[in-house]
Amino acid sequence: MKHRLTAVAAAATFIVAGATGAFAQSYKIGLSNGWIGSEWRTQMIEEAEAAAAAWKERGVDVEVVVQSANVDVPGQIAHVRNFMNQGVDAIIINPNSPTAFDPVFRQAAAQGILVISTDAEVSSSDAIYVGIDQTDWAAKSAQWLADTLGGEGKVVAINGVAGHPANQMRVEGYTSVFDNYDGIEVLNEVNANWDQAQGQQAMQNLLATYPDIDGVWVQDGMAAGAWRAIMDADKTADIAATGEIRKDFLDIWAENDLTSGASVNPPGVMASALNVAVFMLEGRELKEPADAGQYGNALYLPIPFIDGSNFEEVHEAVEGKPGYYSYTSALSIDDAEALFN
Amino acid sequence: MTDQTASNSLSVAGQRLIARFPFVPAAIILVVLLALNGWFEPRSLSFGALRGLVSTYLALMLLAMAQSYVVFASDLDLSVGAIVSLVNVVMVTVMQSLGGDPLMVLFACVVGIAVGVACGLFNGFVVAALRLQAIVATFATSIFFTGIALYVLPVAGAPVPEAFWLTYASSYFGIPFVFYVLALVLVILTLLARSGLVIRILTVGDDAMGAFHSGLPVTAIRIKGYALCGLFAALAAMCLTGDTASGDPLVGGQMTLNSVAAVVLGGTALSGGKGSVLGAVIGALIIGLINSLVFFVGTPSEWQNLVQGLAILGALMIGVLVSRRAQK
Repeated sequence: MKHRLTAVAAAATFIVAGATGAFAQSYKIGLSNGWIGSEWRTQMIEEAEAAAAAWKERGVDVEVVVQSANVDVPGQIAHVRNFMNQGVDAIIINPNSPTAFDPVFRQAAAQGILVISTDAEVSSSDAIYVGIDQTDWAAKSAQWLADTLGGEGKVVAINGVAGHPANQMRVEGYTSVFDNYDGIEVLNEVNANWDQAQGQQAMQNLLATYPDIDGVWVQDGMAAGAWRAIMDADKTADIAATGEIRKDFLDIWAENDLTSGASVNPPGVMASALNVAVFMLEGRELKEPADAGQYGNALYLPIPFIDGSNFEEVHEAVEGKPGYYSYTSALSIDDAEALFN
Repeated sequence: MTDQTASNSLSVAGQRLIARFPFVPAAIILVVLLALNGWFEPRSLSFGALRGLVSTYLALMLLAMAQSYVVFASDLDLSVGAIVSLVNVVMVTVMQSLGGDPLMVLFACVVGIAVGVACGLFNGFVVAALRLQAIVATFATSIFFTGIALYVLPVAGAPVPEAFWLTYASSYFGIPFVFYVLALVLVILTLLARSGLVIRILTVGDDAMGAFHSGLPVTAIRIKGYALCGLFAALAAMCLTGDTASGDPLVGGQMTLNSVAAVVLGGTALSGGKGSVLGAVIGALIIGLINSLVFFVGTPSEWQNLVQGLAILGALMIGVLVSRRAQK
């Protein structure tokens, strides 16, 4: 009896396998994340794992192995070397440094491993970047602020960590937009290290120093704090400020009818990178080579934007999610395929 | 009866061994971790992988050495990571402005060492001469050094001349360059362990008042400890620059606490007065091997940080227990 069942099961497996092509291809992809200080990173990895699982329907078996922990730069170089020891086909990394991985990526590439960085660009010519353009991310929300203010007003900016490349690109992004408007005066630019409490404090100080602020350009990770200071000062109706993409902030936005707009840096970027990676492993060629950005190796993804016009829709999309959940978007397998020949 | 005698004499032997070589428990943990890594991922013990391990962690080994000389005097240096960043960007900037000529690269290394020693002397002055609390004072100087690093090189970038990092990645007579460096490091630390300076540093750490009464220049010795720390932090920065081939003003920041952890894992007490630099070097490797092992055993990503922390705690406890038993 038992044997017969096994035989039936085996036959069934055979049929199913025949129908789906029996995982004609299987790939092992290493995901490395070097900082776990925010839920955004956790969501980034979860979405990438889900994207890998989705390839099963296409008959491609994508196994992901993950290294995610707070590490220093050598610690993340060790991530890459561990992946090399395991013999992965591709590595997708959210890097702790833009430049420090050049030699180890060269060693990985020499082993025939595909290397893709996401969320932060890397200088290595042996890797490509799949993610958003941080300059454009900042320009979009700066444009929204300029439009909302009618091209005229006093503006302050609250930035992240000095010396961080993404921060640098974002500063360039909003500066290039505000420079186009004679009527927009940037009163002050401060750093609050991508920390909500420091963002709130910075905003309090700015409000005390400049009582007639019209607009605030503040980066994500600090915008909720800045808005708290604005609301505490009873200036909600007088000030337009950029916002966040987290569910808990979107709730505050809805409740208080804020004048806000947010560029989306979606945690789905790693999932997008994974889908691109699988097509590259399949040997497909990109229609447009990844040659954008300052390092000439970037493939930029579209950046969604949240403002009054689509707020309801976005807020509904995160309905029922926990407060730390970020509004997201990612290239589906079909979206990714459209990028290839 | 005989069993007991045998175990007694064994424990007496162990006691002597650990008293003479405080790094023995750490060395045992290192061997166990290597074996476990090899068990879960056989390729992690291949020649290439071991070379990668040394390339990656040479900087942390040197930084742990640096930290040891300060801890020996029962001080602490929370600015070592910032010194690494500063030396890294200074060297890279000098190399960029002078070109990739080997002589110029050598000159950049000399400048880097001078910067490291200067930082160490500054720390020593603040802590030992001005008598500020070591933890807070070096925390403050770490922010100061990072500020200078950001001034020298505002954003990460600046590739290093190939002459520099290709040397770090090359082999001579079939042996990787990093293995020569490791051997040299071991020779230096053995020689230093017997030097008068290190013995005086240990004496100060053991009993600063007693050392002072017996006529030792305590302040000068503590400053020299910090200078030695700055020197080895600069050497760590060179290795890091060799492995990363670039300048990054924030690159070393997170290495500071790892260097302290490595020192303690190696069997050195933060209270000062005794310890082993070799132990600190082994401690750096233990941290690296634990990180790899957590991955190779297949820990789910959301648990990796937690398991890593527990494993380091575990290694620490085993070390302490073994030492204590041996001291009974």
